[in-house]
Amino acid sequence: MIVAASLRALGRRRGRTALALAGIAVSAALLLDMTMLASGLTRSFGELLGVSGYALRVTPKGILPFDSEAGIPGGDAVGARIARIPGVKSVAPVLGAQFRVVRGDSAGAPLFTTGITPGAQFLYRIVEGREPGPGEVVVSEPMARLDGIRVGSTLLLAGADVSLGRRDTRTVRVSGVGDFLYDYAEQRSLAMPIGEVQRATGRPGEVSLFGVAVADGADGDDLARRIAAAIPEVTALSTRELMREMDRRLLYFRQLATILGSIAMVVTALLISTIVTIGVRERFGEIATLRAIGVARGRILLAVVTEGLVLAAVGCLAGLPLGLWMARRLDRILLSFPGIPARMTFFAWEAERVALAMGLVIAIGGLAGCIPGLAAVRSALSQALREEAE
Amino acid sequence: MLLSLALAAALAADPVPGLLIERRVAETVPLQVGDTVRVRALASGHPPRPFVVAGIFERAADPNRIARNDLEVRFHLPDLEALLPNHDRVDRFAVVLAPGARGDSAARWIETTALGTRAYSSTGLAERTSATFAVVSRFHDAIGIVTILASAIFLLCVMVIRVDERRRDMGVLRLIGVSRGTVFRAIVLEAIAIAVVGSAAGAVLGMIVARIVNAYYAQVYDTTLRFALVTPRIVVLAALLGLALGALAGALAAWRVVQVAPQKLGER
Repeated sequence: MIVAASLRALGRRRGRTALALAGIAVSAALLLDMTMLASGLTRSFGELLGVSGYALRVTPKGILPFDSEAGIPGGDAVGARIARIPGVKSVAPVLGAQFRVVRGDSAGAPLFTTGITPGAQFLYRIVEGREPGPGEVVVSEPMARLDGIRVGSTLLLAGADVSLGRRDTRTVRVSGVGDFLYDYAEQRSLAMPIGEVQRATGRPGEVSLFGVAVADGADGDDLARRIAAAIPEVTALSTRELMREMDRRLLYFRQLATILGSIAMVVTALLISTIVTIGVRERFGEIATLRAIGVARGRILLAVVTEGLVLAAVGCLAGLPLGLWMARRLDRILLSFPGIPARMTFFAWEAERVALAMGLVIAIGGLAGCIPGLAAVRSALSQALREEAE
Repeated sequence: MLLSLALAAALAADPVPGLLIERRVAETVPLQVGDTVRVRALASGHPPRPFVVAGIFERAADPNRIARNDLEVRFHLPDLEALLPNHDRVDRFAVVLAPGARGDSAARWIETTALGTRAYSSTGLAERTSATFAVVSRFHDAIGIVTILASAIFLLCVMVIRVDERRRDMGVLRLIGVSRGTVFRAIVLEAIAIAVVGSAAGAVLGMIVARIVNAYYAQVYDTTLRFALVTPRIVVLAALLGLALGALAGALAAWRVVQVAPQKLGER
């Protein structure tokens, strides 16, 4: 009954309570977003890495995938050595290069082009047509859409050395349109058989990286260590290591999330404690009377703490949809980062982390109620009654 | 191009070319002026070549490179070319225009000289390379709006509570003849005062946090780059925003009180 009376007091001051709930909802929404941001990118990057089944990346020593022009010479031999290591299911070599589409007298912007082994690649999924054969390419969906390219179209491609008087071009046929997993939004990309890229770029036998599929039951981290030990000229990166590197590069966002999340919690605590303190102050006389007629201090304290808990819980409930809406808007902003794959998300819903954050806000609400509640039940009863009479 | 570095045991017979190394490389390896290093390009199968460390430099603070934060060495162009598989090839030229020359027309002319060549003005290049920071800036703006919204609600809440607490006093003032306008102005002034004090405290806190942030990231990235800046413009903007929010919160809270008949203000 005491608790119900305390909660009814919140209803009596509707405007004030609504304002407090709005403030708590905004703070809870910000905290929710920062919780989702803290782990979102790493998690979605990890999911993206694993989606193709090739969980490991093998690169030139000390290099991250496509971080430089460095290549692994003698790719066939290195690939064969990797394939012999127990735990390796299959190996997919890739060579990165840049080509341009030539139209008339002009060459367009460089297109990120990958040399792959059709049927054993992890960079795209065919959405129309088929894998490329000799003299054929697969183009990315945005390229097909934006440049009006269809399966069966022909393209005139020039290599990187396009310069005055040099027109080393080749005509290729589009065999398919692909959904390139790691491309950023609206990126124009090409893929063609690796041998053709090696010949066109004058890098015979060279490979930029290998994708390695792990056999059932084998441990990715352990296999990465064994590959690195067996082939000293390469670095083998497991999904976990790539995620760690991504974390390192985006350290700023994780820390920003921590700082803003902490600020949101402080604001929530201040709001709840202010509201509850004032509410208790206003009901000082009622509380003194209850104590005078013998109501236990614990019950009175429980009522005040419940008030804080209810404020925080309702604020959190209101903050959840607001936070999800904000997350979508913020994600749209952040995904315009150059080079971030469009399939990734900066904000990932992780039920455990979200529940922890919201639980924390509700606990803060209870704690914020404790402080004025304790002050009310510990004050001298005679003084409280006299103050109320005045 | 990335280069691998290794300490050399002996000097070659021919004059050994010099190179400059970044301070962080010198500290990491460690190296000092006069040391000899052997360098090879990972993108080529060429054997390593010896170079003498001619100097150590501090890289200019460049926000564009902070994410990867690669280590850096600098060669004379012919020495670097000799290490690479491709010769007589450059990535880019920097062009100084003659006085009076128009950048746009010069850029158009340059692009016609070679297939696939692009020419950018320094401003255009800065815009293209600052895409990352434009995104970060938009993200900060969005977060800023949410924070301002939360602050405004908090301020309004505080003002409503403060005014509600003194409803009796307000009623007495009105009953003894103090006008609604005077009460309204008094509440608004009080709200502005709270906002000003809060803004001043916020500015001081901001400066302290900015120092901590800069010190922390300088250590994390080993850079002279400053990540947080509290400029006079930002302080003035925050103060004006605080004033506006304070006045608005005060006005809303005061409006609720002056609408009520004075004899009812004392009721609970």
